[in-house]
Amino acid sequence: MGYNNPVQRLTGIETEYGLYVEGRGVADQLMEAVGVVRSCPLPAVRSWDYRLEDPRRDMRGFRVEHLEVDPHDAQIEREHPVPLSEREVRSDHALGNGARLYNDHAHPEYATPECRRLLDLIAHDKAGERIVLACARAYERQTGNRLTLYKNNSDHHGSSYGCHESYSTTREVPFEVLVANMLPFLVTRMLYAGAGKVGVEAEPNPRVPFQLSQRADFYMDIMNVETLYRRPIFNTRDEPHAPMRRYRRLHVICGDANMSEYATALKVGTTALVLDLTELGWRTPLSIPNPVREAQRLSRDTDLKWLVETDMGAMSAIDIQRAYWQAASERFAGRDAETDWLLREWQTVLDLLETDPERLADRIDWVAKRQLLTLYVESEGLSWDDPALFALDLEYHNVDPEQGLYYALVEQGQMLTLVSTEAIEQAVHQPPLDTRAAIRGLCIQRFAEQIETLNWERILLRDGNQSARLDLSRLIEIDLRELSRRLTTAPDITTFVRMVKEVQSS
Amino acid sequence: MIWQAEERLRRPIPQEPLTKPGSDGDGPSRPDVRRPETNELLKRMRRIDPEQARRYRQRSGE
Repeated sequence: MGYNNPVQRLTGIETEYGLYVEGRGVADQLMEAVGVVRSCPLPAVRSWDYRLEDPRRDMRGFRVEHLEVDPHDAQIEREHPVPLSEREVRSDHALGNGARLYNDHAHPEYATPECRRLLDLIAHDKAGERIVLACARAYERQTGNRLTLYKNNSDHHGSSYGCHESYSTTREVPFEVLVANMLPFLVTRMLYAGAGKVGVEAEPNPRVPFQLSQRADFYMDIMNVETLYRRPIFNTRDEPHAPMRRYRRLHVICGDANMSEYATALKVGTTALVLDLTELGWRTPLSIPNPVREAQRLSRDTDLKWLVETDMGAMSAIDIQRAYWQAASERFAGRDAETDWLLREWQTVLDLLETDPERLADRIDWVAKRQLLTLYVESEGLSWDDPALFALDLEYHNVDPEQGLYYALVEQGQMLTLVSTEAIEQAVHQPPLDTRAAIRGLCIQRFAEQIETLNWERILLRDGNQSARLDLSRLIEIDLRELSRRLTTAPDITTFVRMVKEVQSS
Repeated sequence: MIWQAEERLRRPIPQEPLTKPGSDGDGPSRPDVRRPETNELLKRMRRIDPEQARRYRQRSGE
């Protein structure tokens, strides 16, 4: 049985960047992150409206009293209080491309605008790297301190920071069905979405010199609403940023930050396809009774056999992924060019993982990183526990194209890229024009002075004695390209507001 | 800014630049992997401070 109203999906990626400032330590990191964000050289509106946010609301129908924090981090906070209000700490910047830039727990965070097409999302994810790097360079000029930014998820000393994905989906799908379908998929997609990591943090293990995932060491629970501590595979935060009755937002926090555009596309695209299947009424035939243990085992399997304990016995993680691919292929092949690309690439990657994973070095981060490290180990005559390998791992994620090892591979034509430099540069300044992010972005570009506050769902405007409210919450599934085209030429704010309201009421 | 928005409308990103080298239809395809310029890569890797990971400590985020 399918559900009546599958969703024309919006997707987004939020990335917390690792931040290293020469001569400064973790106690200084919060103020440094604030400094980086506040150095943003792009036009921005700084009054983010928090009134609609509720991160403690759980999809299972309750609100937790408080969110847990990492005890070590709480100690740093107690011992090094900062003389800023919560709003000053956050330092929100809503940008003209529809994105949000802010400080989240001492990390500069870039949340892409809502995108419908994969290529737009990839361009905006890469635009985020450029924007945060531009902030860091501006901050360097102010302070004279040298900064490095890493798009990864671990400091190799037990601290993790996130790269989260958001997918709008229908609330018609019962929570239990959503979880049942997503869990085996999320556990096993690290085969192609893992960014790779030297060593193991939770329990240092010399027999695991390298693992698939940056994040798997930090999974502690199957599902919960937490993000800072006791991190789950399935996050139950119920914050749809859209009408609650119609929508959920699947908030995926178990993934790695990918440098590879191809890996990001496959990660997000396949996850969206599994949601498509779920909305059609498809049910996965298997479950993984202990997903935390199996995800960590899978990530650390140095033999690359990738066997996972399921309720049907031990199965290859590749075969689990194939079950999802098969179901998606049967139902969605020929739907559109993007879907066909995804189905083809998903199959190709699964086949190559089985037969010759090394051939994926031009597109999958963990394979590319492992090849680089192997080259270095063999060339320098090192062992795999040499501390230099941790530094090389880190530098793979350095977002400075002149420094980072991922970008060295791109420079040599060794990594597949999906979007042009021009498309990324455009995404720095322009929103995707087919989603509600276009209204937000164009409003910021044109009428920033009149914006009182804004968030993902609404914009409050004031012009003299007049005020207006643009409600974006219901504009999830409408293609807004035609409206965007007209908004770019709206002669004044009154016309801009009228044009948006006409679409809202149509 | 506005000019750029109009420019984008006239030149949308094509629907299908999602291609890869060596794509040849059914089944796995061999990527067009050239041998990496290993000397250049090694030079770049040797320039990396091996102590950087020891110094790199982060606050726990989300």
